[in-house]
Amino acid sequence: MQGRISRRDWLWRLGGGFGGLALADLIGRADASGPDRPRMDLDGGLHHRAKARRVLQIFLNGGMSQMDTFDRKPELDRLHGEPFDPGEHVEGVTSTPGRLMKSPFAFRRHGESGRWVSEVFPHLATRVDDMAFLMAVTSRTNVHGPASYLMNTGFLAPGFPCLGAWVSYGLGALGDDLPTFVVLPDPKGLPYNAKGNFSAGFLPMAHQGTTINAAAPEPIPDLFPPGSARWPSAEAEREGLLRLAAMNRRHAEANPGDSRLESRIAAYELAARMQLSAPEALELAGETDATRRLYGLDEPATADFGRRCLLARRLLERGVRFVQVWSGAGGPKDNWDNHTDIPNELPPIARSIDRPTAALLVDLKARGLLDDTLIVCSTEFGRMPFTQGATGRDHNGGTSVTWLAGAGVKGGVAHGESDPWSWKAAAGATTGYDLHATILHLLGIDHERLTVRHDGIDRRLTDVHGHVIREILA
Amino acid sequence: MRGLGNRNALRCWGLLLVSCVTAARADDAASRDFFEARVRPVLIEHCYPCHSTEAAKAKGGLRLDDREAARAGGDSGPAVAPGLPDESLLILAVEQGADAEVEPMPPKGKLPEAAIADLRRWIEQGAFDPRDASEPGSVEAAKGGWALRPIEPPAVPELDGADRGRARNPIDAFLLDRLRREGLSPSDEADRRTLIRRATFDLIGLPPLPEEIAAFLADPAADAYERLVDRLLASPHYGERWARRWMDLAHFAETHGHDQDRIRPNAWPYRDYLIDSFNRDKPYARFVREQVAADALYPDEPELTPALGFLAAGPWDESSLRDIREDSLDRQVGHYLDRDDMVATVMSTFVSSTVHCARCHDHKFDPISQAEYYGLQAVFAGVGRADRTYDPDPEVHRLRRELTERRKALASGDPELLASLQGDAIQAEVAAWAAELRGPRIPWSPLISPELKAEAGTSLTIQPDRSILAEGPSPAEQTYTITARTDLVGITAFRLELLPDERLPSGGPGRNANGNLHLTDVEVFQASSAAPDDWRPAPIARAASDYDQPGWGIAGAVDGDTKTAWGIHPEVGKPHEGVFEFREDVGGAGGGVRLRFVLRQTYPAGHAIGRFRISVASAPRPARVGSLPGPIVALLEIPPERRTPEQRRELGAIHLAEYLDRRIAALPPARSVYAAASQFTPDGSHKPVAEPRPVFVLKRGDIRNPGAPAVPGALGCVAGLESRFDLPKESDRRIALAKWLSEEANPLTWRSIVNRAWQAHFGRGLVDTPNDFGRMGAAPTHPELLDWLAWTFREGGGSLKSLDRLIVTSAAYRQASRHDAGKAAVDGDNRLLWRMNRTRLDAESIRDAVLAVAGRLDATMGGPSIRHFTLGPGVHVTPTVEYASYDWDAPGAGRRSVYRFLFRTLPDPFMDVFDAADASQLTPARNASVTPLQALALLNDPFLIRQSEHLARRVDGLAADARARVAVAFDLVLGRPPESDEAGAWAEYLASHGTANFCRMLLNTSEFLFVD
Repeated sequence: MQGRISRRDWLWRLGGGFGGLALADLIGRADASGPDRPRMDLDGGLHHRAKARRVLQIFLNGGMSQMDTFDRKPELDRLHGEPFDPGEHVEGVTSTPGRLMKSPFAFRRHGESGRWVSEVFPHLATRVDDMAFLMAVTSRTNVHGPASYLMNTGFLAPGFPCLGAWVSYGLGALGDDLPTFVVLPDPKGLPYNAKGNFSAGFLPMAHQGTTINAAAPEPIPDLFPPGSARWPSAEAEREGLLRLAAMNRRHAEANPGDSRLESRIAAYELAARMQLSAPEALELAGETDATRRLYGLDEPATADFGRRCLLARRLLERGVRFVQVWSGAGGPKDNWDNHTDIPNELPPIARSIDRPTAALLVDLKARGLLDDTLIVCSTEFGRMPFTQGATGRDHNGGTSVTWLAGAGVKGGVAHGESDPWSWKAAAGATTGYDLHATILHLLGIDHERLTVRHDGIDRRLTDVHGHVIREILA
Repeated sequence: MRGLGNRNALRCWGLLLVSCVTAARADDAASRDFFEARVRPVLIEHCYPCHSTEAAKAKGGLRLDDREAARAGGDSGPAVAPGLPDESLLILAVEQGADAEVEPMPPKGKLPEAAIADLRRWIEQGAFDPRDASEPGSVEAAKGGWALRPIEPPAVPELDGADRGRARNPIDAFLLDRLRREGLSPSDEADRRTLIRRATFDLIGLPPLPEEIAAFLADPAADAYERLVDRLLASPHYGERWARRWMDLAHFAETHGHDQDRIRPNAWPYRDYLIDSFNRDKPYARFVREQVAADALYPDEPELTPALGFLAAGPWDESSLRDIREDSLDRQVGHYLDRDDMVATVMSTFVSSTVHCARCHDHKFDPISQAEYYGLQAVFAGVGRADRTYDPDPEVHRLRRELTERRKALASGDPELLASLQGDAIQAEVAAWAAELRGPRIPWSPLISPELKAEAGTSLTIQPDRSILAEGPSPAEQTYTITARTDLVGITAFRLELLPDERLPSGGPGRNANGNLHLTDVEVFQASSAAPDDWRPAPIARAASDYDQPGWGIAGAVDGDTKTAWGIHPEVGKPHEGVFEFREDVGGAGGGVRLRFVLRQTYPAGHAIGRFRISVASAPRPARVGSLPGPIVALLEIPPERRTPEQRRELGAIHLAEYLDRRIAALPPARSVYAAASQFTPDGSHKPVAEPRPVFVLKRGDIRNPGAPAVPGALGCVAGLESRFDLPKESDRRIALAKWLSEEANPLTWRSIVNRAWQAHFGRGLVDTPNDFGRMGAAPTHPELLDWLAWTFREGGGSLKSLDRLIVTSAAYRQASRHDAGKAAVDGDNRLLWRMNRTRLDAESIRDAVLAVAGRLDATMGGPSIRHFTLGPGVHVTPTVEYASYDWDAPGAGRRSVYRFLFRTLPDPFMDVFDAADASQLTPARNASVTPLQALALLNDPFLIRQSEHLARRVDGLAADARARVAVAFDLVLGRPPESDEAGAWAEYLASHGTANFCRMLLNTSEFLFVD
């Protein structure tokens, strides 16, 4: 790993190629006083040795029900149908609290670690020895908008950079012919807060998540001229770009001392490379049948999410630093936001990710990518131990489950514990800030030192919070 | 004793003065920065809760919130011994265990290692501490930053010989003086082509036309440039340019943001208010006041209501503030965050203050207390973000207010008004009215054998009395389409009878459970028998009814507004009728006419009509309602002389009510703007409050930990202004804040705005952090110049146009932007302005310039925004928004970018890629990045491709051969003729690949994208 020098690292070190400054412009880091730079002697980390070089985050939109998936609660079996009286005020954010409800799903122990997993995740259950579970992740809010922002940007209000944008800002790309931070939204629809979750906030726009809609006729907008226009032929473009470059070069030479003008020339060269690389990265035809089956591409229920997971792997292999894959469209249906009917709403959405997610763990491991790739699966918040309506569950910021796997993470462990009802965290409580601090830590970044001065404050992803969760680190 | 005490106090003061002076000498910037960045935040966060004047009781008698107290220490001894970390109890305590005698701190857990190391280093290096014991508390310590000092007009520097000739106005004197002191010299004046392109983009956001360039180049007058500037300042595009800048500050968008990113159809009037205000050159103080309290300060100028769109411009969390339970903590959090956005927007924009940093604790760097922050929240505790109605015409506004007040007085039984109703004058009117009502009956002809159509499987059937009954499924939104032929000639009106029926809920006439209905909108179309499918509108002039539900008058059914409707609740189970008069007679002579009635019942949902009958008549105008409720008829039948006083009064009241309702209904429809409002139509549990909500000082910003109630107010650190407005009334609080913000004596206000103007013209402010004039912000590069500008601007009445003129006519602004290696070695960042800054066009200017050169710019101003996307239904509330499929030849596609619709969580990717402002946050300064995605957008975006075609067509029309076409295109796009080798190379290219390909490349040049 130490021998691998990314083109970008190299450019920064040597100031070569397009010129260090020009490149700094291009990746949105023109400010000389910006944060620390990735260091070769730290395996590309900023502040300490990096364990992970890239991140794949799966985000479950709407709030996965923890006691129906990973957080088994015998106490709920015992108290099923009883009123909930934990001895303090109980509040449902969108509803009147109903009676306690046991999970309708059977739990079984899995792996050498003996993790309990419910029947909604049969494939993922076989990988528990690769996974580290945070069993008591709390949120400060029970409302989708603020909660999605909190888990993506560290703030309840809109306008802040998300995790992927911070990573892009701090580390830049591993290659230079694909975007640094890619988002693969659920084709059924964008999540709650739509593109607000992928925002670069006050960081330069270059760090915003590039949305790739693999199912659309144009997965990346503006990569090529619209098909409706016949006249921009390949030859006209090739020859035109040469003349354009000459004209822009003459302009840059007539106006020396302005790195932006150099950067523009480089930008067209990088754009041309992206035109070559992106379609190749998005093309799944070259994958073997075995791989396609592994990801569930042969089954309607899993084909979409599987395709996006496979695409995520291809992008990571080709130098994308951070890929975020979304499950669920922002709304009460086809989502993890199961207000109405846990027994019938949860299984289909769980099934849609079960095989593909397990496939990622298998495939990345087989390719050696899991050694320096971090996989994270997180959600907005948990759900309530009592019913909403007949068999639904309301939002619960009190506790939820997140899991991680891969680079720098211990497999087969769990940290934290919820109370007997999975209503609130009881021990080892963690937060989204802690998760973010841990992810940055694995990337070689001290979350307290990656800051940007904005509107009077040195802002950071973790606001004024966050502790690295060392209990799950390898 | 007293004398001694005083002497002691004096001695203390003396000592303090000395130590302050010493401290000031030692106060090198590095120590201060280290303290502010690394030490003070740790102390505030981890120590102050127990060891400060604000802690209920300083634990162990130790206070760490000022220098002397920290050094004196508490019960256990000195906490801070400068230079001696191992003897400082603070260090021993936080290192936890280094000394078993010392209680480990903080009690809840160890500080991060880095923080401990910082504290140790701080003490090792002498424990520099600027916190003054005479003003205990973190808040007071930082008093007196540069921005808070009163503005005194600084003397304009005297220049020597050569420079005196170079300076065009005092701005240059300040800049030149500083340049000389640094051993630098300014650049020569730019050539005229550069100047006109620079000034035109800067002042109106568009490129100069080729003929404007030619005229300017040929103008021999010495003041040609000044006249150019005056022309640009007078252009209506000037207001559009400044409005867009202001929209960045306000983070204006036309949707809510968050997870329910709903469209605000009435947000745009705020944008038009801005454009109009800048074009009128409204005095700045007035402009500030209007945006905070127009309704309260200028009640007789209703046209200013859209100014309040400023307070509502930011995001609004519909889930938290409308949909979740009202009694939940999350709802409370929602209110605090919503007000936080208002406070941050107001204080950042007008006074460049980061007051929002004091939400969880006192401001760490500026003299702003947490109590003051929540005091500002309290100012906005009585308003919500909502559509508010207004009458732009002051006369209509006055009339509506008067009529509504009288109507209210009548309804509430105001004794004085009731007494007046018995008077002879009113009774004479009643007599005339009664006579009119008894006039000839209108011969209404019900429609015969109409064709009936309804939505969603609802069945309409004709009843024996020719009425129509609705049965079966009743969707939330309903529309009935009734088509019939009539031979009647000269039809002046139609009547819609709403009839009760026992088959309907609550006896009807509506299908709602309570018997009510809402007619949102009615439209009539006519077609002659000769051309039965050629439907033309038959516009309705006015409508009258026998009864209007309060707030749901029949005028609402004919105003084209989909949020107003006619209703009849609570008068259900009875017949009602509405009479609609056509603007022009319908139905020609002979042959008959086909009429189509479209009755929309779409808002509020679930209020369809149950049974109704439509009739037409050719009675003379005015059409009026034919039937009166029985009791009134009975009263009218009593001869006037035999009526009792009560009966006289009752008739008078009925007549007056009818009169007032008619007058109100006849007023032009009110307009709506999405703005801050204390009164608005409730939307679920989002509703107005009778008095401001209580606001508490939340300890550590935690909703579960409320402290004292907040006292409305502003910031005490601005000397000479009353900063506490302990006023119970919502509007009074906003008035007080509006005044505080716009006072001549508020130095922040005036410094803030002149810095923004400077930034607009030079690309960067004299203060590099335009929203932060506090200690963490940048210091001004030219403090005297900033003050001189602020003073001049304020004394001159706050004219932004004069300020702009002053700046852009300076010699500094007119310099060339050329690089100079020698000067760059001294001031590489050009902070001293030895040359002009080259700027990349902002997103809006790029788009507008492309439209302009392609000949597609549509200069229409104002009105609803243009949606550059196709809208589709989303999974939940947020719709889908498809930018790629927009038709760039659609009507309005060529409007300026300031008029494009701004979707908060789904912004236009083309504009995004060029760093357009993200309306989820305040944007005091845009980035101007250069990225590969920009290259792809400029090459391939459908907008650019289509405009390349338009530009090509234009160029082809203007010149015949390839070389001439290249010259014309250069002239349009770059404002200059091509060099001969350029002309040759591109002509060759154009000849083989066509003009469109050439235009596409020309629009990708750096020269087009940058302004020198």
